[in-house]
Amino acid sequence: MSLDPVTFEVIRNALVAATDEMVLSLRRSAYSTNIKTRADFSCAFFDADLRSIAQGFTQPVHLGSMVQQVPRTVTEYGAEYIGPGDAIMTNDPFPSGVHLNDINLVSPVHWRGELVGYVANLAHHVDVGGGAPASIGAFREVFQEGVIIPPVKVVEAGVLVPDVWKLVLAQIRSKHETGGDLRAQVAANATGVRRVGELLDRHGIETVREAMHELVAYTERRTRAALEKLPHGTYEAEGYVDSDGYSDERVRLHARVELRPDGVRFDVTDSEPQRRAPVNSTFAQTYSACAYAVKCLIDPDLPVNEGFYRLLRVDTRLGTIADCEWPAPVVGGWETQTRLVEVIFLALSGALPEGVPAGTKGMMCHAGFGAVDPELGYWCFLETFGGGYGGRFASDGPDAVQAHGQNTENAPVEETERGYPVLVERLELVEDSEGAGRFRGGLGLRKDYFFPRGPVTFTVLADRDREGPWGLFGGLAGHPAEYVLNPDGDPRRLGSKSTVEVQAGDVVSYRTCGGGGYGPPHERDPELVLRDVVEGKVSAERARTVYGVAIDLDERRVDDEETRRLRA
Amino acid sequence: MSYRLGIDIGGTFTDATLVDEATGEVWIAKVSSTPSDPSVGFLTAADRILAEAGVAGAELRYVSHATTVATNAIIEGNVARTGFVTTDGFRDLLEIQRQVRSALYDVHFEKPKPLVPRHRCFGVRERLGPDGSVLRKFDEEHAREVAAALRAENVEAVAVCLLHAYVNDAHERRMGDILAEELPGVDISLSSSVAPEFREYLRASTTVINAGIQPMVARYLQGIQERLGDSGVEAELLVMKSAGGVYTAEAAKRRPVYMVESGPAAGVIAAAELGRSLDQPDVISFDMGGTTAKVGLVQDGTPTVTKDYQVGSAAHAGVGGFQFSGYPVRTPVVDLVEIGAGGGSIAWIDSGGKLRVGPRSAGADPGPVCYGRDGIEPTITDANLVLGRLSAANFLGGEIPLDVEGARAAVEVRCARPLGLDVLEAAHGIVEIANAAMGNALHLVSVQRGYDPRGFVLVAFGGAGPAHANALARDAGIETVLVPRSPGIFSATGLLVTDLEHEYTATVLAPLTRVSTDELEAAFAPLEEAGRRDLERDGTAPGDIAFVRQLDLRYVGQSFELAVASADPLEAASRFHAEHDRAYGFSAPEEAVELVSVRVRAVGRIAKPALPILDEGELPAPTDRRPVFFAEAGGFVEIAVYDRSALPAGSRFEGPAIVEEYDSTLVVHPGFEAETDVHGNLVLRRAS
Repeated sequence: MSLDPVTFEVIRNALVAATDEMVLSLRRSAYSTNIKTRADFSCAFFDADLRSIAQGFTQPVHLGSMVQQVPRTVTEYGAEYIGPGDAIMTNDPFPSGVHLNDINLVSPVHWRGELVGYVANLAHHVDVGGGAPASIGAFREVFQEGVIIPPVKVVEAGVLVPDVWKLVLAQIRSKHETGGDLRAQVAANATGVRRVGELLDRHGIETVREAMHELVAYTERRTRAALEKLPHGTYEAEGYVDSDGYSDERVRLHARVELRPDGVRFDVTDSEPQRRAPVNSTFAQTYSACAYAVKCLIDPDLPVNEGFYRLLRVDTRLGTIADCEWPAPVVGGWETQTRLVEVIFLALSGALPEGVPAGTKGMMCHAGFGAVDPELGYWCFLETFGGGYGGRFASDGPDAVQAHGQNTENAPVEETERGYPVLVERLELVEDSEGAGRFRGGLGLRKDYFFPRGPVTFTVLADRDREGPWGLFGGLAGHPAEYVLNPDGDPRRLGSKSTVEVQAGDVVSYRTCGGGGYGPPHERDPELVLRDVVEGKVSAERARTVYGVAIDLDERRVDDEETRRLRA
Repeated sequence: MSYRLGIDIGGTFTDATLVDEATGEVWIAKVSSTPSDPSVGFLTAADRILAEAGVAGAELRYVSHATTVATNAIIEGNVARTGFVTTDGFRDLLEIQRQVRSALYDVHFEKPKPLVPRHRCFGVRERLGPDGSVLRKFDEEHAREVAAALRAENVEAVAVCLLHAYVNDAHERRMGDILAEELPGVDISLSSSVAPEFREYLRASTTVINAGIQPMVARYLQGIQERLGDSGVEAELLVMKSAGGVYTAEAAKRRPVYMVESGPAAGVIAAAELGRSLDQPDVISFDMGGTTAKVGLVQDGTPTVTKDYQVGSAAHAGVGGFQFSGYPVRTPVVDLVEIGAGGGSIAWIDSGGKLRVGPRSAGADPGPVCYGRDGIEPTITDANLVLGRLSAANFLGGEIPLDVEGARAAVEVRCARPLGLDVLEAAHGIVEIANAAMGNALHLVSVQRGYDPRGFVLVAFGGAGPAHANALARDAGIETVLVPRSPGIFSATGLLVTDLEHEYTATVLAPLTRVSTDELEAAFAPLEEAGRRDLERDGTAPGDIAFVRQLDLRYVGQSFELAVASADPLEAASRFHAEHDRAYGFSAPEEAVELVSVRVRAVGRIAKPALPILDEGELPAPTDRRPVFFAEAGGFVEIAVYDRSALPAGSRFEGPAIVEEYDSTLVVHPGFEAETDVHGNLVLRRAS
């Protein structure tokens, strides 16, 4: 029998609601700023055959990684050993995981004794042990990056397995926070199991199975309909991660993208070999970049599941920075992964000038720090920063915002200062950092941390401090990022992948890059230049020399005659 | 004789209700809203209802008002020329926001445009630490320079939000004094007064909104007060707050941000009061209008309230995470889940060939196809008409004859044929998909928050609510549905039954175990003192003042607090563990609990009007019989149609049946029975 369209739509919405409710549950009961405030996690539902069915995402980077990691977790552990009320935990990057901070929790959904599928959630933990607080740093191999958890049972029949729990927490600095976050992950899966169970109570297993099957087919139909409209052909581009933390030799990424009516094929095999440095992306991370790029090109309303993924093909070469192998360090993989999205967009810019932005922040840009404190114990803090977004076909790139797979919120200054022995000295836009263009890039932001007590171990894990995000079609590149120790005293540039001991009274300053411009700056509407100058985002000097617009700041108007002369 | 008047201004209509305090007799009126000057609609509605009831302005004892003017002003960017003052180094708080995109996969996204442009944002030299200690002295001279710069910008209002002012407001108050001296006549909002809570962007956003709408709201309320005065009305003008409760127009002029969601709140308050009056304190309110459906929950007579709210964020079909597409407001708001499923929501086929309903709406213009105003896309209303659930002749008392054939053709061409269904299957599908979406919303406010909906009564209102309530209750396992009289303007009756309320918060941020009962008492005392002062200024007699104390608690390290109504630390801790378990499915009694803030709700009780009493009588003969489609009956069945105004108390009948009244149609499904209670409410229950 074929499922009627109404029941289908009802079940489809209920499955999405189930993963959304997991998101709410996890976020509201989590402890660490990174999860509760910055929402660095995602939730998903898979069927019994481990096909992705529904997803509740807060972070698009997880779009491709969970679909790799969850099936592997179940297969490796053995579906037959996973019973009702169990939860399997893992963060193992190899062969198809991501970095160690992202701990995945998978729970089976049973209904009347029968396996129906799995709910899973993945959260970025503020610390998983390893060589530096917050578990980020320029390491040589994965063993330095923290506790490696192969798929293990952490909840058995609804009860925490104390031995596993203790063994894992023993490796971790911020036990209180991470313990609380893990409990929140367990609760989120319980929410998902319950909600899917209610759906089964109402519709029965046959109908729900049929709906899941149809949902996959439906997504495939819609994806194909969207792919049909794209400019078919093969496009390629290359780009670089600025440095690897050990050598100044930049790191080459190459992508060939084939848009076809029946699928999208990515070939990143021509990227360079992996390094003993924090620039290696796992296959799951690379896959995630490709999936994200495709999702941006098609209907944003499309529910993602197996029917979407089956139209993607991602070719990599094992042992490269786009598909690293054990025991490569992986913590910097997201920096490379995000840059890969940029390279893919660059490849497509000629064919889809209206569809992709100029260069954006294009990095994760982490700050991780921590220390042992007499009152707080071992505290760890992790944050990432927004930067300029790229200019677009018909609009400026927004200022100070996350890009691509990353959409984590900033840590509120007051929350940070209440929770950790650090003060934020400033949080502001970086004036004149935009890549000029007909539509300019967004401004980067500046955030300065002051440490009243020391020593504190501070890690920068970022990029973009040598080359700013590129402009498109005559637009200029954005201003590069800067990472500086004591900017107002005896300034010292910090490497984009480096760890330092800071002392009481030190300041670490992040200035993120601006976005690239779109189109020639001389074609920018002078009124928009005037607005930027009045608002102090762009200086009058820069307006004149870069945009060819003369501004009378006292009168807040454009000097038309002078502008004509400048632009002649 | 004394009367109460409630006026509820919505996007399309302005509703008025008038009640005789002694008899409970109610009059209603509906006029078109006048967006260019909403006070015109207000006064037209007031004049009309007073004339109809033959009541003089001087006989009014209360005039309560709910309005969307504040929200609309923000959405339309129609805010005052506002300045923003913060701590030096943080000038760009409003630009940076939370550094996130509102849409994950849309490269053409925009951040919400700051309500204050950057050149009217200033940092002043001062700095407090997280404990309120002074890290950098307040620089008076610099503050005067900032004030001078704001004067040069001709600002009409200024918002001040200094770091950690929620612990120590001394610097903000000093800044406020200087601004008052340097900028006479300019409205000044201090974050420590408007929303004294930590997390600077949320507090700043709330304060900026307060400042930005203050001049407009003050003018608006002043205008109404004056013209009411001209009509001989001496009663105080009261305004509904977003969390329920009213405050005086004078208070609203100072803190307008507390009224941004006053309209939706009125509906939930009305539902809560209806439940209370019938000894049903646990209620789920279901308000379905033309463009959206809103579901809220009332437990033990109190609506659930949230502070996670954004003005101007788009209504969407699911929870969708925590996307920042609007301006956060950290004042309490009735916790509603709103989805794009109203009578005008459009049914369509997506690119995957599936039937979808909403969130796009045909709105008031062109409206559903059956209105015959050139609408071509079928809506939920059209589907209900095709199924026979709405009457073509009696819609809005027959004012708008409905085009059944047009509706059928639209459903046929746009939905049925592409799906290979017949027109009835498609129409039924549209209704069922909308019901399921509303069911998910209901699940979200109940089960997801740890409440079992089966213990609640569903109160259904809004023009479209009664047509869908029975199916919604059936699917959620809810036993009882209450449909008040005049469901289309029921929200406005919430204005007639609410109390005066003021909220006061003080941030504490201390481990609960280290707080003694005496210290708690000391924290509550000034808040209650302020409450008593404000209520007495509003004219409340001392005997009518009550206080509700609440503690905002969380486990040390968490970010979201749970409110626990208690004033005793030990009892509060155990309640918190239980509440956490209910809300999130686990608790951690071995962990330290942190007291984030103490809150006082100061309530000035206003006597409730009497409820109308209906005469008992026999069930009258149906006014009509017509075929109506019910899937559970296997298709069209000929059923009775009753005129609600003719139903006496105690009259009872079994479904399937239809009850029609001026602004709404009630659908009773097979297997349910309906009874009119002594106050005129229709009560639906599963047939025994």
